[in-house]
Formats: sequence, structure tokens, C-alpha cells
Amino acid sequence: MKVKDILSSNTFELITDESGLNNEIIGIFASDLLSHVMGNASEGNILITVLSNINVLGVASLLDLSCVIFSHNIKVNDEIVNKANELNIPLLKTKLPTVETILTLSKMGI
Amino acid sequence: MESYSREFKIQKNDIGNAGTVASLTKRELKKRGLTRDFVKTVTIGIYEAEINVVIHSYGGNCVVKIDDDIVDVVFQDIGPGIECIDSALTPGFSTASHYAIENGFGAGMGLPNIQSVSDEMKLTSSKEGTRLHMKFNIDGDCYES
Repeated sequence: MKVKDILSSNTFELITDESGLNNEIIGIFASDLLSHVMGNASEGNILITVLSNINVLGVASLLDLSCVIFSHNIKVNDEIVNKANELNIPLLKTKLPTVETILTLSKMGI
Repeated sequence: MESYSREFKIQKNDIGNAGTVASLTKRELKKRGLTRDFVKTVTIGIYEAEINVVIHSYGGNCVVKIDDDIVDVVFQDIGPGIECIDSALTPGFSTASHYAIENGFGAGMGLPNIQSVSDEMKLTSSKEGTRLHMKFNIDGDCYES
């Protein structure tokens, strides 16, 4: 499954440009502590987090994550969106809490 | 392949640029044909060490050397030093500032992560500074076939 495939549901709003939408999704990882993400997430994972700062992108880029989903309707500033566009990391937003986000993705077959 | 050696400066609290050493080293390792798993291992170690210098020290530098059979990385900062190395190596133990925690760091997993990914790690510290030396051995399996 690709990042663009989870956008069709209207649950997730894409806040970056169209690049990276063909990234292949391989599993889900949810955490708000970057060392846990760094030590445990794998290539192709979706990262679900409420942590909206520039370092999330550093970790996503180093680990080649497929995309980042900000749950709980977290505010994401322009600096992060611009940097994500530069790094070709798709950023998605959802009103759902983290657990609901995981369950929704799981129902989609991820 | 030719030996690679590069020195990086790391500024105190420069969280926006943290990850530069890891990112540039990752690029070099990929260029040399190393496997994704090996590249990830080294990247994790360097990233964690880089963050440590940014959030805990007054600044420092890092020297990355890559040869056909080893990646050798030394981080040296200018203080204030680690009070108790045993505690610092305990998963979950943290002395991180509010600033670091707000930025998603300070889980107390940095040094334990480095220990688990590196083949050899030496950590020495005094008030004048902390030196972290890590080695990652490269064998035939670490290269893409």
C-alpha cells in the first residue's frame, strides 16, 4: 500500500505537496519520544505522533519512513511543512487520537 | 575504497541542525554500497550521540572515519561532563532540560541505544568534557551483494 492510498478516506489531510505519495507503507510506529522512534521504527513505517517539531523530520528522513501522521489535530507550523517538502516527506493530519488512527489504518489493511 | 574522514562542529542547543552528521554519514555509507541495515545501525548511533552533544554539552566536534572494514566515530565536547556514567547508561535515566524534552528528546535512551547498535563503545567524561568513541565493524555481509 502507498501513502496516496490512505488519503482517499478523508480521515487524513495531506498538508505537504504531492511528493512522496508513492512511498510504500510497511507497518505503523507510534511514539512521541524521538529516541524510541530512532531505536525502534523501521524503514517504510508510518510514524504517528503529536510531536510537531523539526526533529521529527530528521528522524523520518534518517530512517526512510514512508510518511508522518500528526494525530489529535495537532498544529503543524509552516517551517515544518516547508522543510518536509524539501525532504520529500509526506505529512498528514487527522482529528483522530493516536489509538483511533492506528485502528483506522489497521482496518485499511496496514 | 578510499578512506573517508570528516570533521563536524556541533553547537550547543542547535536543535534545528542536529542530525547533520548522521545524515551526511548516511549518504557516504550508501555511496559505498553498504546495506540498509548496516547504514541504519550507524545512523542511529551517530544521531543519538549528536543529539547528546547538542542538548547536554557546551558544544563540541565529531570526527567520522570510514574504511573498508570499519566506521570509527569520535564525539568530543567541552563540558560540563557526565556526573555518573553508570547512571547515564541506564535505560530511562535522564538529566535532560525542559527545552530538550519539549523537542522530543530526553527519554534516557540515547546512550543505551548507542551501546546496543555499536560493536565497541568507550565513554570517558570529566568536567572539562566528554569523549564518546564508537566503532562499527564492517564485514562482507555489510555490503550489498
